[in-house]
Amino acid sequence: MTELLVKNACVIDPLRGINAETMDIAILDGKIVEEVSDAAEVIDARGMLTLPGGVDSHTHICGTKVNFGRYMSPEDMRAGRTPRQGPLHATSGYSVPTTYGNSYRYSVMGYTTLLEGAMAPLEARHTHEEFVYTPLQDTMANTLFDGNWGIMEAIRDGDTKRVAAIIAWTLRAVKGFGVKLTNPGGTEAWQWGKNVSCIRDPVPYFEVTPAEIIRSIVEANELLGLPHSVHLHCNNLGTPGNYSCTLGSLGLIPDLNEKRQTLYATHVQFHAYGGSDWKDFCSKSEPIARFVDMRPQIVMDMGQVMFGRTTTMTADGPMEFNLYRLHHEKWSNHDVELETGSGIIPVIYRRKNLVNSIMWAIGLELALLTKSPWQCLLTTDNPNGAPFVKYPEIIGLLMSKKYRDAEFATIHPDTEARVPLPAIERELDWYEIAVMTRAGQAKALGIQDLGKGHLGPGADADVAIYPIRMDEVDPSAEYQKVIDAFSRTEYTIKRGRVVARRGECLVDGSNATFWVSPKVSEAYDMGKDPDFIEKFDRYYTVRMRNYPVQEEYLNRNRCIETEARI
Amino acid sequence: MKVTLALKPAARSFIPIEAESIVPKNFLDGTDLPVWRGNRELRLDEVFSVSVEGDADRTEDVEVVLSGETFRLKRVGEYMDGGRVTILGDIGMHCGNFMSGGTIEVRGNADGWLGREMAGGTIVCRGDAADYCAAGYRGGRKGMTGGTVEVFGRAGDFLAENIAGGTVIVHGDAGDMPGAEMRGGTLVVHGDCRRPGANMKGGSCYVYGTAQGMLPTFRKIGTVQHEGHTLIRFAGDIANRGKGNLFVKAYEYLD
Repeated sequence: MTELLVKNACVIDPLRGINAETMDIAILDGKIVEEVSDAAEVIDARGMLTLPGGVDSHTHICGTKVNFGRYMSPEDMRAGRTPRQGPLHATSGYSVPTTYGNSYRYSVMGYTTLLEGAMAPLEARHTHEEFVYTPLQDTMANTLFDGNWGIMEAIRDGDTKRVAAIIAWTLRAVKGFGVKLTNPGGTEAWQWGKNVSCIRDPVPYFEVTPAEIIRSIVEANELLGLPHSVHLHCNNLGTPGNYSCTLGSLGLIPDLNEKRQTLYATHVQFHAYGGSDWKDFCSKSEPIARFVDMRPQIVMDMGQVMFGRTTTMTADGPMEFNLYRLHHEKWSNHDVELETGSGIIPVIYRRKNLVNSIMWAIGLELALLTKSPWQCLLTTDNPNGAPFVKYPEIIGLLMSKKYRDAEFATIHPDTEARVPLPAIERELDWYEIAVMTRAGQAKALGIQDLGKGHLGPGADADVAIYPIRMDEVDPSAEYQKVIDAFSRTEYTIKRGRVVARRGECLVDGSNATFWVSPKVSEAYDMGKDPDFIEKFDRYYTVRMRNYPVQEEYLNRNRCIETEARI
Repeated sequence: MKVTLALKPAARSFIPIEAESIVPKNFLDGTDLPVWRGNRELRLDEVFSVSVEGDADRTEDVEVVLSGETFRLKRVGEYMDGGRVTILGDIGMHCGNFMSGGTIEVRGNADGWLGREMAGGTIVCRGDAADYCAAGYRGGRKGMTGGTVEVFGRAGDFLAENIAGGTVIVHGDAGDMPGAEMRGGTLVVHGDCRRPGANMKGGSCYVYGTAQGMLPTFRKIGTVQHEGHTLIRFAGDIANRGKGNLFVKAYEYLD
């Protein structure tokens, strides 16, 4: 029995409506409790800002794609080198660091839960193996269903229940957490050397449109009662004028769930572009933010771009090919059999580049123009927009108009005419930042009932204590202090144990992986469906019995069983 | 100031010694410098007999002379920005990495990665240089960006790979793929070589001997006179929309 008491913590806990109250947090055996005995170890937080452990609801940290990013960019490993030290492993890398590098750096910033944004089902083992070596965060993986042959056939036949059944079988097999759609239909079209231009283009051979795929999978997701909603990367990423396609996709979504959103639209910054080509490229963050304001069924994340070197990686193969044709740099492309694909290229976002400057502004605008912070979460789509170590700077930009203006003065001079950012006065407060970095994310992922994203009794004891006092610092003027504080916690507590202190990780932790197992009726068990089995054995390079990821691959596994309505 | 470092015969080992501290600038503050053998840190005087003549206030006045069996001594002159290093024998890999000024003279042969990613200064190698002489490094976009490397013997494969500036001159033959991914600067090979200029985007590559296995993705333009040689001029690499110039005395395509 281990007990810990955090005293004099200035707590913001949005899921419980607590805003800057000084209180004590009692922890017993990794859980938050009402009180502990006098024998408890005591940490005096001395009025410092104390938040639930950070949750990143969209990041790419583990799996084949990330690893291929490492393969492609050995030069990335020149940066960020730290030697082995005590219980800590050596790390290296900047935009695609080693798994330990990711884990330690997230931990130092107070993050305790991560969602890998895109896991190809066939390659799930790799993701889970890397999860094991991401020791200081609990992990979960969104599973890709954008180009799944069985699902597209079921959609063509109008059989949503079969769609749900295939999702249920696959999630259970690969120990996935949520449903991810990356350029739905487009990645399959890419296997025919094509793409889809928007949601009404049919996918070759299957003759279903992205709109049908999105709608049908959203319904299937709710039939299965999954904790998270469908996680959508819209069609047409990164092309001028794509905002209308994004609005069209978001407009497809009915409000089907009262506990959370029905659609999570990810890295919307990349989908909020106006203009007809790169010459008249401009920001369309305003219509997107207004649209989302009116629809509680939608939550988005920023996908903020920050200047500097990084690596883009996505299951959106055709988009990466277009990017390759722009940059003419290294490029990799990958096809995942009956499921999806991927592409990777390293990029540098430059202040001197007009397009990059506009992208930078759009991400911030989305966060500032969306009224409710619960509907626009803070991410960079790590590492696509920027490595996650830039989060503190983004927090600084959102909290300080002065900092935004100072940065704005350094970017391409023509940006001003193309974006509304300079006219936005809003400065987010501490509470809103807490929503955008943990509470909102936990709610969107549907994991608050599992004890994530809040500090109520029964919750997992994941706590981040930042070395800053809200009453002493004016974030609008002293933004550097805010950035410094969010870059380095005073204490990061994970499952009741101090794992990082003042920028130093202290232990080699042991994470947990969340996954979902929907309970479906016998008739919808795809493991016994003759047609499904036949197609599987005919088209996959692996046998069906070898496909599921064994539980041995999961460290501490926390299976979430849901009651499906099929 | 002249610093003489004679490798002690007893310090010879199969494991290379990494000596990035052997840079003229460091000797302005004495000779108490660390070197590494594997994961063990050693003092300079455990490995070398050190003798110092005279003294200096400026890096430019420092000369370091290395003698003994230095072929397993790596990273000598890394990030060197001035002064002079003379190696009487052979030198190990990564000599003159990232160098930006000063002079390194190798009287013997140099192992791989001589002058990798150098930005300035001069390296003279009297013997042969092994592979990746004056090249970039794994995954990097730019190799050498400035300075001069002159090799009087032969050079190995991937000579001046990824070169973006500066001059590389090899008086003997070069191996396979000299000037691969070249994007600037000048490469001169007095002897023969194989497949020069692959995927080059810019810069100039001169081969005074025969280019074997000449790549088909270069467009022949005509003949030019260059320093007393009649050379055939090619443009390319067309496969990469390159604007590089490749000049060869003679060439052979693969059958």
